[in-house]
Amino acid sequence: MMEQAINWLKGWLFTTNHKKVGILYIFTSCYFGFVGAVLALLMRTQLSVPDNNFLTGNFYNQAVTMHGVIMIFWFLSPLAIGFANYFVPLQIGAEDLAFPRLNALSYWLYLAGGIFEIISFFVPGGSANGGWTTYQPLGTSQFSPGAGPTLVFIGWILLTVSVTLGSVNFITTIFWMRAPGVTISRIPMFTWFMFFTIVAMLFSFPALIAALVLLVSDRVLGTVFFSLASIQPSILWDNLFWFFGHPEVYIVLLPAFGVIAEVLQVFSGRPLAAKNVILISTAIIVLPLSFGVWMHHMFVTGVPLALQNVFSISTIAISLPFDLITLAFIETLLHGNIRLNAPMLFALGGIVLFIIGGITGVFLSSPVLDRVFRGSYFVVGHFHYVMVGAAIFGLIAGIYYWLPRMTGRMYNEGLAKIHFIVSFIGFNVLYFPMNLLTDMPRRIFTYQSIGDWPLLNGVASIGAYIFALAQIALAYQVLNTWFRGPPSPPNPWGAATLEWPQVQTPVVGQEAPQGGWIGELNTENVGKEKLHDNLSSRPILLTAGIFVALLGVPYYSSSLGIATILIGLLILAYSVIGWAMDDLKERFVVQDSEAGERWPFHLVSKLKLGMWTFLSSEIIFFGTFIGAYLYIRAASPSWIAVGSVHSIPIGALNTILLVTSGLTMALALESIREGNQRNLLAFLGITFLLGSAFMGIKVSEWADLASKGFLISSQNQVISIAASSYYFLVGLHGAHVTAGLIVMIYLMKKTINGQYTKEEHRGIENFALYWAFVDVIWCFLFPLFYLM
Amino acid sequence: MVKLSTLYVWAYIVAAVMAEVYISAYMRSSASGYTAISLLATSQATAVVLFYMQLKEEPNSIRLFAVIALMFLAALLAAMIATLG
Repeated sequence: MMEQAINWLKGWLFTTNHKKVGILYIFTSCYFGFVGAVLALLMRTQLSVPDNNFLTGNFYNQAVTMHGVIMIFWFLSPLAIGFANYFVPLQIGAEDLAFPRLNALSYWLYLAGGIFEIISFFVPGGSANGGWTTYQPLGTSQFSPGAGPTLVFIGWILLTVSVTLGSVNFITTIFWMRAPGVTISRIPMFTWFMFFTIVAMLFSFPALIAALVLLVSDRVLGTVFFSLASIQPSILWDNLFWFFGHPEVYIVLLPAFGVIAEVLQVFSGRPLAAKNVILISTAIIVLPLSFGVWMHHMFVTGVPLALQNVFSISTIAISLPFDLITLAFIETLLHGNIRLNAPMLFALGGIVLFIIGGITGVFLSSPVLDRVFRGSYFVVGHFHYVMVGAAIFGLIAGIYYWLPRMTGRMYNEGLAKIHFIVSFIGFNVLYFPMNLLTDMPRRIFTYQSIGDWPLLNGVASIGAYIFALAQIALAYQVLNTWFRGPPSPPNPWGAATLEWPQVQTPVVGQEAPQGGWIGELNTENVGKEKLHDNLSSRPILLTAGIFVALLGVPYYSSSLGIATILIGLLILAYSVIGWAMDDLKERFVVQDSEAGERWPFHLVSKLKLGMWTFLSSEIIFFGTFIGAYLYIRAASPSWIAVGSVHSIPIGALNTILLVTSGLTMALALESIREGNQRNLLAFLGITFLLGSAFMGIKVSEWADLASKGFLISSQNQVISIAASSYYFLVGLHGAHVTAGLIVMIYLMKKTINGQYTKEEHRGIENFALYWAFVDVIWCFLFPLFYLM
Repeated sequence: MVKLSTLYVWAYIVAAVMAEVYISAYMRSSASGYTAISLLATSQATAVVLFYMQLKEEPNSIRLFAVIALMFLAALLAAMIATLG
């Protein structure tokens, strides 16, 4: 009995199976959704009547901030990622995600980040209270003192790292792991929309990571990126945050659209109308434009009028593909044989709420109207209609749609319909009054009895309780179905996508019917799907190390803090070495299938596709830091003279050392391509020595600079910001070089073992990419800091 | 057999570093000097990406990753600097 329990626990803690990780994501995100909802109810209770003192102003601000952060980052997106984990591999006929351990690591990092958010409430001073947008300098130690906000931002960084790893994994999976016959045109709509979501994540989150790392650096290391008024740090933050923040709206919305598209097809009994129009407009308009509209969040900050006009036009333009998508959804319904089961009801509800949210959003594209509405409850109403209405209703449709597939049991349809009706009413009672509160500021914790404010706020608060109560029905449904529901037929809705057991993988060359591939029924497949449970303790251990080390960071000035960091680093080292040993001894091997649909990446290996995907996010990551530096230089009234602080000859020498290491690494790769293991080892060794020499010179340079008074803590503001920029950027680059040196030791060990051959040397190939990328970054850092 | 292009690229990058140092010394703080140094830095980075990262030999689908990332980054940097007026 005891052994069974331990095995059960190990099965969940060490799992790398996509279905189990998906279930972990779904349940964890629902837990965070519950926390976010409790915070929302506290806020609505406070605002239900005028002059209320149910909450203090400070706690109200914490509740508002953390409600937004938790709901957006730990509930909405992760719930979609949970579905994606479970169903994307099934929909494309893959056995698992491309990198199963990386997938488990993504989950544990997400959970660790979330734990930081929760514990921030319980440290002295409480959690972050500067709003989910954390406009600067509200997030700096001056305005948000204490360990709580630092923990929030560190947790947020962990989440963004988790998202980046997940993005690499999903893109590689969707493009490289498709079963034979699942061509591009046969990819189901949910997988397509998840792909668009993941691409938006890949390119937008690095800007957020960069902004958060700068902020944490300010709070922990004492840099001054967001605390010197002379360099307009608030605008710097706004740009970085909203460059991520606006695509985030689509990141939250698009998975729900994917679910809605699947549900509409199945429950209207016909293929999706204008499927290709939907896909093309999302790919070539929504994705690129989502990165070109962020400044409409900054109209009131005084950005130049010409920029306001450009971003106003792009904001109007991005609404057009959504018009097309909505019309295609309606067209699908028009001639369909509609079944109003719970998934369909929630999908329809999502569409209706999205139309309301979308229309109210168009007003905000006008700089003039935005100036009036920006700080009011109208905006709160608008984005909740989009992000809660469309997204949550769409995702709940997904829960009901796939619950029979996940559990093998059927939910209670009657209760599900009641759940929909009460949710829809509660939602509109909650948020519609906010559309009318155009004159009420959104960032106040209490208000006087002015005009309709008491009435509309009272109604909204009643709606909040109705909406929240309705979700108890959902929790009951899920748990009851899971444990006690009646058995469900294998494919209860008659769906045609591959995640359903009775649907066969399409045969190569078979024509897809209009609107997508419709499989033939084949009852022999039922219950025969593979569930390979490769267990690995490395992802959870690695995360535990990171978690413990970062937990000590806000307290690094105390001995307890240092001890915590050291313990964390020890766990981290143990798990990294363990991970490397697993690879050296081939304890965890993911077998790639020989055949599959891989166009347009059929000429590259899985690992290389993953590496390039990762590097593309690194381009934005480092580029954002360099951009922030350029911004600071441009905004700063004066700067240190060239050659007055940094030694140009030493910088040039170091640059030559690093680019020479790039040459030797390229030669190492050429050697193994010719099957010459001895030369590979020699060139790796030289690369290691050159890289070490680069780091050694860097360290001595830093010591010299510090002794000359070039310090972050300098009273001279110009030196302080110049030192902040230099130590931070060069230090970050140095950390990448150091990580590369550590990996090189592992590569040399594998070379000595004879594990790289002319035929199999993907590890060397991908490390060469990484090392060259480190060179590329230095090609810019050297002139920026030493010559300009 | 070592590819000659690998050595040529290294020689070019080293020469470009020297040129950057020279320009910095003799055209200090001038707009044309900064422009020249920026172009040299960009050319070095491009050479590394094309030859050491072998993007030159990769299929277009892989090149697209770098192009899309650079496109979004350019939009961010341009608009961010433009907000300063």
